[in-house]
Amino acid sequence: MTLYHYLAVSAALFCIGIFGALTRRNVIGILMGIELMFNAANINLAAFNRFLHPNAVVGQSVSLFIITVAAAEVVVGLALVLAIYRNIQTIYAEDYNLLKG
Amino acid sequence: MLEHVYLIPLLPLAAAVTLVFLGKEGPHSKMPFLSVATMGWCLLQSSAILWSAMTGAAHLPYAASMPWFEFGEYPMSLGVLIDGPAAMMLFVVTLVSFLMQVYSIAYMHGDPRFKRYFAYVSFFTASMLGLVVSSNLLVVFSCWELMGVSSYLLIGFWFEKPGPAYASKKAFITTKVGDLGFYLGMLIIFAYAGTFDLTMLRERVAMGAAYLPAHAATAAGLCLLFGAVGKSAQWPLFIWLPDAMEGPTPVSALIHAATMVAAGIYLVARTYFIYQASPLAMDAVAWIGLVTAFMAASMALVSYDIKRVLAFSTVSQLGYMMLALGVGGYSAGLFHLTTHAFFKALLFLGAGSVIHSVHSNDMREMGGLSKKMIVTFATMTIATLAIAGFPFSSGYYSKEAVLGAVYAHSPAMWAAALFTAAMTTFYMFRLIFMTFLGEARDHEKEHHAHESPALMTIPLCVLAVLSVCSGWILEHFGLVEHLFGLPSAVVHGAEHAAKAVEAAGAAAEHGAAAANHAAGHPASHPAFLVPAALSAFAAGLGISWKLYASGDFTTATKIKQTFGPVFTLLEKRYYFDDFFLFLVDLSDRLAAACFWVDANIVDRIFVDGWGLVTILLAEIENFIDAVFVDGLVDASGWVSRQAGAGLRTLVTGQVQEYLLYVALAVSVFIIQMLTMR
Amino acid sequence: MTNLLTLITFVPLFGALAILAVPKEKTKAIHAIGLIAAAISFVLSLLALGQFDKASSAMQLVEKAAWIPSFGVNYHLGIDGLSLPMVLLTTLLTLVSLIFSMSVENRVKEYWFWFLVLDVGMLGVFVSLDFFLFYVFWELTLVPMYFLIGIWGGPKKEFAAIKFFLYTLFGSVFMLLGILALYFTSTPHTFDITELMKLHPGWSESFQITLFIAFYLGFAIKVPAFPFHTWLPLAHVEAPTAVSVILAGVLLKMGGYGLLRVSYSVLPLGFKWFLPILIVIAFINIVYGALCAMAQTDMKKMVAYSSVNHMGYCLLGLAGVTATGFNGAVMQMVAHGLVTGALFLLVGVIYDRAHTRDMSAFGGLGAKLPIYTALMTVTVFASLGLPGLAGFVGEFLCFLGAFQRFKLFTALSVLGILVTAAFFLRMIQKVFLGPLNQKWANLEDMSWREIIAVAPLTALTVYLGVWPRPALDLMNPTINNMIQSLAAVFK
Repeated sequence: MTLYHYLAVSAALFCIGIFGALTRRNVIGILMGIELMFNAANINLAAFNRFLHPNAVVGQSVSLFIITVAAAEVVVGLALVLAIYRNIQTIYAEDYNLLKG
Repeated sequence: MLEHVYLIPLLPLAAAVTLVFLGKEGPHSKMPFLSVATMGWCLLQSSAILWSAMTGAAHLPYAASMPWFEFGEYPMSLGVLIDGPAAMMLFVVTLVSFLMQVYSIAYMHGDPRFKRYFAYVSFFTASMLGLVVSSNLLVVFSCWELMGVSSYLLIGFWFEKPGPAYASKKAFITTKVGDLGFYLGMLIIFAYAGTFDLTMLRERVAMGAAYLPAHAATAAGLCLLFGAVGKSAQWPLFIWLPDAMEGPTPVSALIHAATMVAAGIYLVARTYFIYQASPLAMDAVAWIGLVTAFMAASMALVSYDIKRVLAFSTVSQLGYMMLALGVGGYSAGLFHLTTHAFFKALLFLGAGSVIHSVHSNDMREMGGLSKKMIVTFATMTIATLAIAGFPFSSGYYSKEAVLGAVYAHSPAMWAAALFTAAMTTFYMFRLIFMTFLGEARDHEKEHHAHESPALMTIPLCVLAVLSVCSGWILEHFGLVEHLFGLPSAVVHGAEHAAKAVEAAGAAAEHGAAAANHAAGHPASHPAFLVPAALSAFAAGLGISWKLYASGDFTTATKIKQTFGPVFTLLEKRYYFDDFFLFLVDLSDRLAAACFWVDANIVDRIFVDGWGLVTILLAEIENFIDAVFVDGLVDASGWVSRQAGAGLRTLVTGQVQEYLLYVALAVSVFIIQMLTMR
Repeated sequence: MTNLLTLITFVPLFGALAILAVPKEKTKAIHAIGLIAAAISFVLSLLALGQFDKASSAMQLVEKAAWIPSFGVNYHLGIDGLSLPMVLLTTLLTLVSLIFSMSVENRVKEYWFWFLVLDVGMLGVFVSLDFFLFYVFWELTLVPMYFLIGIWGGPKKEFAAIKFFLYTLFGSVFMLLGILALYFTSTPHTFDITELMKLHPGWSESFQITLFIAFYLGFAIKVPAFPFHTWLPLAHVEAPTAVSVILAGVLLKMGGYGLLRVSYSVLPLGFKWFLPILIVIAFINIVYGALCAMAQTDMKKMVAYSSVNHMGYCLLGLAGVTATGFNGAVMQMVAHGLVTGALFLLVGVIYDRAHTRDMSAFGGLGAKLPIYTALMTVTVFASLGLPGLAGFVGEFLCFLGAFQRFKLFTALSVLGILVTAAFFLRMIQKVFLGPLNQKWANLEDMSWREIIAVAPLTALTVYLGVWPRPALDLMNPTINNMIQSLAAVFK
């Protein structure tokens, strides 16, 4: 398996993620799409680390960082979604228009 | 004694101040006795000074001074200068003031402002005495003005009544008109002679053109004369004196008969050396005196108010004194001033006694009072004889002296003065007859009439004695020349001037002229002067007897109807009052006009106008600002707004749309990067 | 004490700052602080009088320190026989006005604060010897005055305040130009008045005339000289009583002081050129001012116009350019401060009770209010120039001094005295004499506070009238020196 295989998987994952984020009406779905994009990036990082600088661990540690941040982000994001849901009883993104003048 | 002469004005002043601040006010206040006692002491001192002056024990003139203040390089001094006239005036003023205060204790008793009355009187006397003794013209002027104020306060003593309130103001303003003359005179004197000290001034004036050139002397003399005209109620400023009778009667006796109104005469006498340097000013003095004497006497003929008759008579007699001074009869004028003070004070106090008794000023409501008021009647008759010039009374001697001096100057003036003397006799006896003789016309008033208390009659008697004998004493012992003779300083001055090289010619001429004037008082008069005066007296008395003694005035009324316009002219006081009212009205209009100009032109146009122009400019600028400058700014705003309105359609609030833009942008970016390679 | 003048000037400022620290409800504390500050300033000025060498004409108690060295601006204070009387007058009148102001109930804290600041400005004008400093103090008086008139004034207070402010500012702007011109003409550049006094021989006549006009605009508005006087009646009528006192008593004097200190001493040729005009202006001020006063029914406005008349006497004295006239002018300024100050206080007394100043509304108060009547009568007589009271000495010396140079106009100006007497006596007659107007049957006589405020002024009026020596001795050497040093120019 070469680096290109990994990159192809990663690109596919990213495209699925962006497609999901752009097309889902459900905010949970959008968040899931975003998670996919994160993970695509993580794969890239791990792959580059493995193939280009096998002795270093920088890529892996950064991907660990991203996992942590992504987890935190999802927590915040879900909390927001919950809070919004409690107020306007919907999780569809297009209904989120409280700021519209 | 002479060295403490300054105490004579200062003690009454202290008494006045004490009376103002200490003691209880009220109708029975005991404080006035302080004022009377002070005046008694002053009287004793003045008598002693006069006695030593008469006997020659004191060396006159006596002068002493202390520094007062300085400005620039000029020192001003406070000082006394006692010469013969001053010694006599001191005596006269303190005596009349003392008697008048004693009299007032009875007259004013029961007045709620009893204490204040005496404070004012003391203050007045202090100012008058200050004027008499002062050696400095500025101090003389100050006392002159202070007298004006005390006169103002005393005329308006019963200020709740509109009459006195108005009369006091009229008196003050009218005399103030005269004071402007005095003021200007001082300015002229100082500008040329550089001093106000009378002794020094006399020397400098005698030096002639070096200090006071002829035209300046004339101007100064005329200005000072104008001041005297105001104070001594001479033509044309005599209008205030009849109204001043609104004050309490003793005040009229003291201020408006014996002392203050004599101050004008005294001023002319005090500055006589200036008049001697200017024949023109001297003539003006004489003419003013003559016109006044005649006019005032004629107005007295028709008045029914007992005090007004006396007021006109005062004016007329003052005119006599002026006339005497103006024709060179220096000693005659001062002689008449002295005797007049006695008998005129007596007349006024007697009139006060009558008014006190019948509570009226109108002679038509009196009549037949001689039975009830014997002392008053007797003393007033004596005074009337004196003022009319009955032989061997005091007025006889002084009037003869005046008439003699006038005759020596101009027989025509003498004739006019003689006619005035006849009129004087007439109206004075008219007063006596109407008041005391005949039948009582108002029985109600007559019933209540009574002789006044001793405090009032004793001063009358004292003055009556003096009215009888003062003339004889002064004349017989040669005191007129001794006290009132012109000082020799003029001759001394002439010598002095002759030494002054630069001004020798003019000055010597002046000195000579002045000396001639002094010598112009001849020792003996033509023999017919005395008989002429006596026949004038007899004529006045006779006509008066015929018209008024019986108490039946039908003839008098008939005469009045025949000469209606003349009577109206006299009763209207030659329309001088109306003329001055017109002037007052004019000045009011002028004031209103000035204020109108100030408010509407100076302020509104000149100042507020500037403000308006500024506001107008601001409006214009505002327009430019709003349309052009601000328009540019607004235009840029408009552009942004329009742009924003277009762009806002892109911004829907949908997060996913934004994300799409991002993705598209990134894609474009990536594609570009890839193709660039 | 070496910093005496600084202390005199700035003690009121400390008082003002202390007042700011007091809660506004505690009016008694505010009164106490204000009165103490003014009293200290007054006592210190008396101390300065004690230390002052009367025989000398030099600047005394001089303080000098560099302030803005790069522009040659110094903190330079000093007094001579010209400024010391003014300083004494200012401290006294401020104290008296503050005593009178204890009756002010509206916004007490601000009132007292502004009043003390005003005091600083006025004192500063009289003691500063540096034009920069002079100008700063000069302008400093405007702001408090603006607020004092605009907040505590009468019905038209806002208009009066703004008019006063703009008018005086208009004048002082020209003065500022003049100061700058002097600064740039002098080499080395200096703002020092004592230095600039020595430089006039080097300046051309046209230059001096131009600068004279610039300065004159500033001073004439303050004096006020015809035709720049119309702010005065308005401001006086609208201002609260104590402020009128200061306005008439001190602020007008700044104009006269400026004419003597700056226009005459620094720009003699300009002054000389202006003399024939000045005498006419003096004449107009005297006669026209008096006539305008005669047309008034409002007592306060009448007194205000009488100030125009009285300051005309000052101008007359100045126009004479003699030691006599200058002595008269300074004396007249002092006397006018005392007398007109007292007059305004007295008008305020009656206004506080009756809420009207219309003369014809009264009548017969003489029997009802004896103390008030007595004080008013004395003051009125002082104002109309009765000998024996302070007003006469100044007025007479002014006439005496001017007569030596200008006979005709001086003689004509004498008419003003008559008109003054006429309108004042008419006022007395209408208000105090005649039958009592029953409307005022319950009027009360003066309170102790009011008597304490007025009586010192009256006492001084009498004292200086009878014995003017202390005042004249103070100013005479300085004025003699001023006249002699420029005698050649004015010959």
